[in-house]
Amino acid sequence: MSTTTTKTLSAATLLTGAMNRVHAAGSDIIKVGWLGCGGRGKGAIRQCLSADPGIEVIACADLFEHKAMEGREGLLKEPKYKDRVKIKDDHIFHGFDCHEKLAQTECDLIVMATAPAFRGRQMLAALRAPKPKHIFTEKPVATDVAGCRLVLEAAKIAEQKGLAIVAGTQRRHEFSRVELMKRIHAGQIGELVAGQCYWFGSGIWYRADSEGMSELEWQCHNWYHFTWLSGDQIVEQAIHDIDMLNWCFDGPPKKFMAVGGRQCRDYSEQAKQVCRKFNNGSDADWQKYNGNIWDHIFGEMEYPNGARCTAFTGHGPGTNRNGEKIIGTKGASDLHSTITGENPWKYEGPSVNGQEQEHIDMIRSIRAGKPINHGKRIAESTLTAIGLRTAAYTGRTISWDWLLNASKQDLVPPQEKLKPGPGHFEPISTGCDKLI
Amino acid sequence: MANRHSLTRRQFLRNSALLTGGLALGSVLPRSVWAAGSDTIRVGVIGCGGRGTGAAKNCVDSAPGVEIVALADVFADRLGALKKQFNVPDNRCFVGLDAYKSVLALADVNLVILATPPGFRPIHFAAAVAAGKNVFMEKPVAVCPSGIKMVLEAAQKAAEKKLAVVAGTQRRHQAHYIEAMKRIHDGQIGTLVGAQCYWNQGGLWVKKREPGQSDVEWQLRNWYYFTWLSGDHIVEQHVHNIDVVNWAFNALPDTVHSLGGRQFRTGPEYGHIYDHFGTEFIYPGDVRTLSTCRQIQGADHRVSERIVGTKGVANLDATNASISGEKPWKFEGKETDPYVQEHTDLIASIRSGNPLNEAKTVAESTLCAIMARESAYSMRQFTRNWFMAKCDLNLLPPADLKLTDTKPVAPVPVPGKYQLAGWVSEPPKKKETGKGKGKKK
Repeated sequence: MSTTTTKTLSAATLLTGAMNRVHAAGSDIIKVGWLGCGGRGKGAIRQCLSADPGIEVIACADLFEHKAMEGREGLLKEPKYKDRVKIKDDHIFHGFDCHEKLAQTECDLIVMATAPAFRGRQMLAALRAPKPKHIFTEKPVATDVAGCRLVLEAAKIAEQKGLAIVAGTQRRHEFSRVELMKRIHAGQIGELVAGQCYWFGSGIWYRADSEGMSELEWQCHNWYHFTWLSGDQIVEQAIHDIDMLNWCFDGPPKKFMAVGGRQCRDYSEQAKQVCRKFNNGSDADWQKYNGNIWDHIFGEMEYPNGARCTAFTGHGPGTNRNGEKIIGTKGASDLHSTITGENPWKYEGPSVNGQEQEHIDMIRSIRAGKPINHGKRIAESTLTAIGLRTAAYTGRTISWDWLLNASKQDLVPPQEKLKPGPGHFEPISTGCDKLI
Repeated sequence: MANRHSLTRRQFLRNSALLTGGLALGSVLPRSVWAAGSDTIRVGVIGCGGRGTGAAKNCVDSAPGVEIVALADVFADRLGALKKQFNVPDNRCFVGLDAYKSVLALADVNLVILATPPGFRPIHFAAAVAAGKNVFMEKPVAVCPSGIKMVLEAAQKAAEKKLAVVAGTQRRHQAHYIEAMKRIHDGQIGTLVGAQCYWNQGGLWVKKREPGQSDVEWQLRNWYYFTWLSGDHIVEQHVHNIDVVNWAFNALPDTVHSLGGRQFRTGPEYGHIYDHFGTEFIYPGDVRTLSTCRQIQGADHRVSERIVGTKGVANLDATNASISGEKPWKFEGKETDPYVQEHTDLIASIRSGNPLNEAKTVAESTLCAIMARESAYSMRQFTRNWFMAKCDLNLLPPADLKLTDTKPVAPVPVPGKYQLAGWVSEPPKKKETGKGKGKKK
């Protein structure tokens, strides 16, 4: 913890600190609330349980009741977890406000893995609860600028209260990359002058099933395809690689420029099926159910030292690209395990699974009374991806300062409007949207 | 107005109005001295649209002893301005898809300006070289690999015949670019490790279909929006910037991977071309560069190049060149109008007996842009070697093309549906065995 933080310690912080010291003893239990019981949530809760024998899951929550129920059942079936799954019936929550109910429980830590649109609200609810929580959050942590600001606020509160925020950008926890980055920051490849990051893959699921759901609930179920819910692919997925470049430069870019569009993403068959379901058998309006995210964004991030880096992202039938590269005046790195150039190096230590290690690092930090707080960093990397997306959607060159301080971009409906009912649809961007 | 985009042109003229004025005046006076001379440059203009008209005037302004003596265009109405200005007699004005042949058949014509839509360029260039004419040709010089191969072959023949060939990639004739490149090639920014180039602009002219127009006539008049004629805007326009990066590296990219689409400009009047591309070119030594081009109304402009070395960075655009880093530099020399200068250099090279031949260079830069387009249409990454060896895309107009022909507009390329010519998908990877449920080893 930095010295400035220490100075701002409040009475509340001291109390929380006391709680952390209890954990520091190592013998006691960390009670976990599980928020978002979908695919990534199922992975994350298991990775959390595996990180430390003193973890117990005491509550779970999902938009859909059956998913929360199934989440508990699934855990109870696995011998290595079942003894530490202590979710009582009255600790299973569902609905659009399930994060608020979960925050009222006695858990110490919430593992957040819902669609990213709601993360800021979820974090603030967890931190402002009578018993404030540590947070593990999947990436990204927002889909719009307003959401990023909520997370920045959450990061400050967590710091004041001495609580952890760890994010699912697992590359930051892989030993090889940690060692590599130490060397890059020490100047082993010289001044950084260029970089590239890639996440171009073949595609993503489309969920046409909508049994028992309202339109808005179906949209949340099929969340990837709507910018307000997922942030678009560059935010939801490419953030991993974008975050690596931000790590290299030790902060976000100062300027964004991007082109992109939707040229081949097509779920017309399923979209028509969903359309008929919600429109009395008519599929005339099917295109809105096809989703409004793009299938490619090609952007440029300009970092404070003037270096311009490429972001190559999307989904399509062509050549898959993954990974990163950073180039300095004295060498280059694959940002995985090697450095080439004047001072070549290769990581030869043990390899770890970053998705497990991130939980291990988090729990250790909580037990040590020095909780990791990556809230600001993950908000910045999310905003970086949003900056690229916004540059592409609007055809404008966008500065970090404007985005962070002046943009009024706010895509997610207010909490009171989130209830089972009509969906929230926005048109596909034309590439010269109004800059908001 | 010409597709030779007025933004840069205007910027240039603003900055060098006095100089250009002086040059134009100076070049007018001694012309009569040359008129009777044996080394008069007698120019035939093939393609008298906006750019052809501009190039003809630039050519006449570029040196003494230059005359416009013959004109060709598909459409009679396009010939008028040049015919009137240069008093070209009726029997030397040719109309129709074969009009270029009539100009090339004139024995006294010793230079031709090729400025039709680029789809015709390989055919016109090859014919011009076969007829023994010196050539000024607008960029790009092809729209498909078959066309590129024709141009490269003709380039070789032009060299054998000692014919001059200059291309309309006018940055190669611009003093600030030339001076910056000298320094880059001299190592003043160190080893090159990156680059970016851009042609992001707003909208562009478009010609809606008139009643009674055949498919071919409308497509020729609205040629920008059809790949077989323009090559798409990445080829037609962004080739300028790609050419600068090739020039800086003194090399061509080994590999290309591009993304693109048609997001804003979706009306039928815009044919089937895309409105944006983002491309990664990888140069020898795994040097990865970025390129973007965009034509979207209301979007930001950015037309420039940036070359990144281990010891500095060069920033280049239509009006300025500078280097930051260990050896900072800023261009402060004299500049001429590059659209005139390219003709001045061409004609000087003809008269000196040391003809310039830029055909290979411009064909190579055109090739890079075509590769990027095909990569975007298919979303596939491929190598230049693969493209030249295997991609058999042929968009050349057929020899019997007629203005009255029916030619449906090709569909907008959709990755996944678009067939990258010559591409054979790898066979699916063999499934791992021995891990299946219930299987015993």
